[in-house]
Amino acid sequence: MEKRYKVVIIGGGPAGLAAAAECARLNVKNMLIEREPVLGGILKQCIHDGFGIIRFGEKLSGPEYAERYIDMLTAGTDVRLSEFVTGIKKIERGFELTSVSPCGVKITETDTIVLATGCRERTSRQVGITGDFPAGVFTAGTAQYYTNVLGKRVGKKAVILGSGDIGLIMARRLTLEGTEVKAVYEIKPTPSGLNRNIQQCLNDFNIPLILGHTVTRLFGKKRLEAVEVSAVDGRLNPIGRPERVECDTLILSVGLIPENEIAEKLGVELSPATKGALVDQSMMTSVPGVFACGNALHVNDLADYVSESAVTAAAAAAVFDYERPELTDVEYSDNMLYLVPQRLDGKRAAENTIFYFRSRGDISECRLTVTDNGREIFKRSYMALRPPEMERVVLKGAVRGRLKFTLDEKSGGGEK
Amino acid sequence: MPSVAKTQAIISKVYPQIRVSERRGCVRLEGTLDRWEDIVEAGRMAVDRKRWHGVLNDITLKDYEEPPISAPAERDTSLENADVDVLIIGAGVIGCAVARELSKWKLKVLLADKESDVAMHASSRNDGVVHPCIDVKMRSAKMTYGRAGNRMFDGVCKDLGVSFERCGQYVFTDKWWVVAASPIYILKALICKIPNAGYAWGKKLRALEPHVDPKYKVAIKFGSAGIVCPYGLTIAYAENAVANGARLSLNTIVEGMELTGERITRVFTNRGAFRPRVVVNCAGTYSDKVAEMANDRFFTVHPRRGTNLIFDTKERRSNSALGVALSDASKSAHTKGGGVIKTVDGNMLVGPDAHETPDREDVGTYAESIDAVIAKHSKLVPQMKRGQIITYFTGVRAPVYEEDFIVSSGKFTKNIVHAAGIQSPGLTAAPAIALGIERLVLGVLGGKIDKNESFNPKREPIPATRGMDVGERGEYIKKNPDFGEIVCRCEEISKGEIIAALNAPFVVPTVDAVKRRARAGMGRCQGAFCSPNVMKIISETCKIPLDGVTKSGSGSEILCGDIKPAEGKR
Ligand SMILES: Cc1cc2nc3c(=O)[nH]c(=O)nc-3n(C[C@H](O)[C@H](O)[C@H](O)COP(=O)(O)OP(=O)(O)OC[C@H]3O[C@@H](n4cnc5c(N)ncnc54)[C@H](O)[C@@H]3O)c2cc1C
Ligand SMILES: Cc1cc2nc3c(=O)[nH]c(=O)nc-3n(C[C@H](O)[C@H](O)[C@H](O)COP(=O)(O)OP(=O)(O)OC[C@H]3O[C@@H](n4cnc5c(N)ncnc54)[C@H](O)[C@@H]3O)c2cc1C
Repeated sequence: MEKRYKVVIIGGGPAGLAAAAECARLNVKNMLIEREPVLGGILKQCIHDGFGIIRFGEKLSGPEYAERYIDMLTAGTDVRLSEFVTGIKKIERGFELTSVSPCGVKITETDTIVLATGCRERTSRQVGITGDFPAGVFTAGTAQYYTNVLGKRVGKKAVILGSGDIGLIMARRLTLEGTEVKAVYEIKPTPSGLNRNIQQCLNDFNIPLILGHTVTRLFGKKRLEAVEVSAVDGRLNPIGRPERVECDTLILSVGLIPENEIAEKLGVELSPATKGALVDQSMMTSVPGVFACGNALHVNDLADYVSESAVTAAAAAAVFDYERPELTDVEYSDNMLYLVPQRLDGKRAAENTIFYFRSRGDISECRLTVTDNGREIFKRSYMALRPPEMERVVLKGAVRGRLKFTLDEKSGGGEK
Repeated sequence: MPSVAKTQAIISKVYPQIRVSERRGCVRLEGTLDRWEDIVEAGRMAVDRKRWHGVLNDITLKDYEEPPISAPAERDTSLENADVDVLIIGAGVIGCAVARELSKWKLKVLLADKESDVAMHASSRNDGVVHPCIDVKMRSAKMTYGRAGNRMFDGVCKDLGVSFERCGQYVFTDKWWVVAASPIYILKALICKIPNAGYAWGKKLRALEPHVDPKYKVAIKFGSAGIVCPYGLTIAYAENAVANGARLSLNTIVEGMELTGERITRVFTNRGAFRPRVVVNCAGTYSDKVAEMANDRFFTVHPRRGTNLIFDTKERRSNSALGVALSDASKSAHTKGGGVIKTVDGNMLVGPDAHETPDREDVGTYAESIDAVIAKHSKLVPQMKRGQIITYFTGVRAPVYEEDFIVSSGKFTKNIVHAAGIQSPGLTAAPAIALGIERLVLGVLGGKIDKNESFNPKREPIPATRGMDVGERGEYIKKNPDFGEIVCRCEEISKGEIIAALNAPFVVPTVDAVKRRARAGMGRCQGAFCSPNVMKIISETCKIPLDGVTKSGSGSEILCGDIKPAEGKR
């Protein structure tokens, strides 16, 4: 039996690293467990810059951003690499964790757990693409790994499906490596990625972005030979005559799904909107002592916010005392896609409470009002809100009552 | 010729343009029709098992050219003048099982398949149900071999180290008249000696299958039904055959035969020509083409495509094989009803549908099939969530018009043996068909054949560390740390398991082959995370460059060379 920890952090990406760094700062005995042989999570393969503007005030590449946090770790963190959590069990005032590594099977006890397991990519069959299943079909993250980590080209003529940030970044990356990117197709009428990525990754390279279209079938017995592209109607169903586009590579950037297999083993309640855990303002899940952060909690667009949520989680885990929470649900209006945290623990009011949200559709002018037991405590106007861009709100002073978030759209505003 | 006239009369009523003739005791149809369904229908109308050996349906589809057989790119002389007693064409479950049974004898067995691995067609694209065979015609070859095969499964799977579970099949109904008629099934089960047939209802049924719509109050239970991993079984048969001396040649297509009188004297492949003493035809949807090469065609395959969906293990809503009584399942009677089926790996499989198709390798999936399968089966299990589908696939069944198995020696050519028309329940019947073919082959060879004294019926499976308890798993890792390095996170597959798959009696160094042997890439991320690492392990273990690692054989390369060398800082 290994010694008992106050906090065990699962996942060594920007979330897990920030959580461990926070534990180190607070001098709390903790363990960081990562299944890969190196820390950094998905950042290891993000060699483009744009990380850390908020957290460090600098434009860093993914590996540089991770390095900043790795440098903050102290001897107070036991880092376990190439170790995979295979089982987890509730015990008296804590948890028992089973993990596997080339050194054997280990059992670890801990008071609290911080889940920072990141997310996985949606695959071609999860978005209903039919036809053949040849080689040459990659999720964007996998293609990025082949290119940036293994230094390999994935194809000569590519089509990209989905205008999420990873897809856009890969369009540029592949173009730079001499792959002809024929187009980026997006099923929705609006792009999913950040505006800056559309400019820098597509427009600057004359790559067409074709909205309201999707890939419906694949052709090719061995390697991909062509894809079938169809226009879609308002309900996203294919309409009209499909077009055949010759290509040997299809890159899918069609969404990320938080990885919550460990959370599910523990019986953590998940939110259908985020596909991550339901949490209170300290990022604690419905299972006392289990915290969630980063992309395992909800898919973020900036690593900086990933790390921020991890700091919140770690700070709370470090002082967690198994006192029962007093939870109330935070209400929010229908035009918000989701709001995190979804609950408020009246017993653990903090100085600052951070909320993250996304709007359901594009909204051009609107105002956010937050009320606490009916009393207005926060107000902010937005020129535009788009689902791809996550918004962050900090409520100052202890909030402990019934919170309600309302987005009021100015009449005549953009479509929903 | 009165029988030709009679068949002509039947067919002319519907298809006046079709000519009927007799050819060596078979009924032959010729002409052109506009719709494939009509061609199939005409073929069905010509069936008369008392009169004919079989139907030769040579009606062509207007404006359609049959796609060429998908053939390997390889061309060499590795099989030129090979010393072969028995050539088995097709390494599906039937061909592999036959190879294994024949490896009990001192015979030079060559198992050839055109694909890069065994079990690339129907044998990996089915439901994996070991059927009780209750809905099979009495006194058919299907019943004989299906029932016998079912009984053999425990023993065969134990020997070959394949997981098999007799989980039972439940056929549900909400119609009183089906309940009223169901004693017929029970009676049939009694007559056909199908064990453990009975009823289940009420609380007990609900506890067994809590996800079934409560409106289905009664189920007929067939306790002898089971589930198996179909490609796992096929691979295991092939590995055991090879371990016992059979030769397997993949990427090898049989292109033609030379006949002298009533015997095949030479077989031509893309890897050279040789002179086998006996040829066994296990070519699935191409079995009539192979029969034609041997001048022994007396049947016609009409391919029938079926699509299945695989759901995440989290979404398993079935503890056995569930189906709806056939009377509910509308007209698509040519699937064994299909159903909502637990797989041996803990997923849920839903399907299949059934579509006649002129394309023998029509394995692409269509959106309509997926919709139809969900629409049909969510009546039984209403909560199944589309979003939890992790993959789908399509297989092509190989029925002949007589809709029965053909397990027989040639009618015109002396040294060929056919296992044709092996549609469902072909997987179930495979162990028994293999024994039947073994007898036929020995008969054709004649004379005294010695036993292979060193034959070992057992095969060691790849260890599955995931299911082990802490102690056992620890021991494994201590002996070999690779078993502690998890490569596939969704299915928790270690590097050790992947390397074991690459050290089997025969090695297929492709990503798909590893997936089917070690399960790496079979989970919810479908290999997005692990395929680069799997490729690296294949490259290192099999000493092939990373760029040369394919998804499933040459032509399916995954990478295309190095990126540009970095210029300064990128
Ligand atoms: C391709 C791409 C491009 C991006 N571009 C930008 C950008 O330009 N700017 C920006 O700010 N943000 C960007 N992001 C977003 C940001 O980097 C991510 O949101 C962030 O990486 C998520 O961090 P995380 O720690 O939650 O997850 P991850 O980085 O995925 O880390 C999770 C870690 O947990 C480990 N783990 C999971 N389960 C287990 C287990 N059972 N046992 C042990 N270990 C486990 C995993 O191996 C992984 O290392 C990008 C993201 C991607 C994918
Ligand atoms: C959708 C579906 C569901 C099914 N469900 C079940 C079930 O639940 N239970 C059950 O018992 N049965 C089921 N079946 C039936 C079962 O899958 C088949 O009966 C069985 O797999 C047939 O095996 P086979 O070896 O005859 O054919 P195949 O596996 O198709 O093998 C034929 C092989 O021959 C090779 N070949 C062809 N021509 C040549 C050539 N010229 N040269 C070299 N090689 C050649 C092909 O490459 C192929 O590998 C199902 C079938 C389908 C399609």
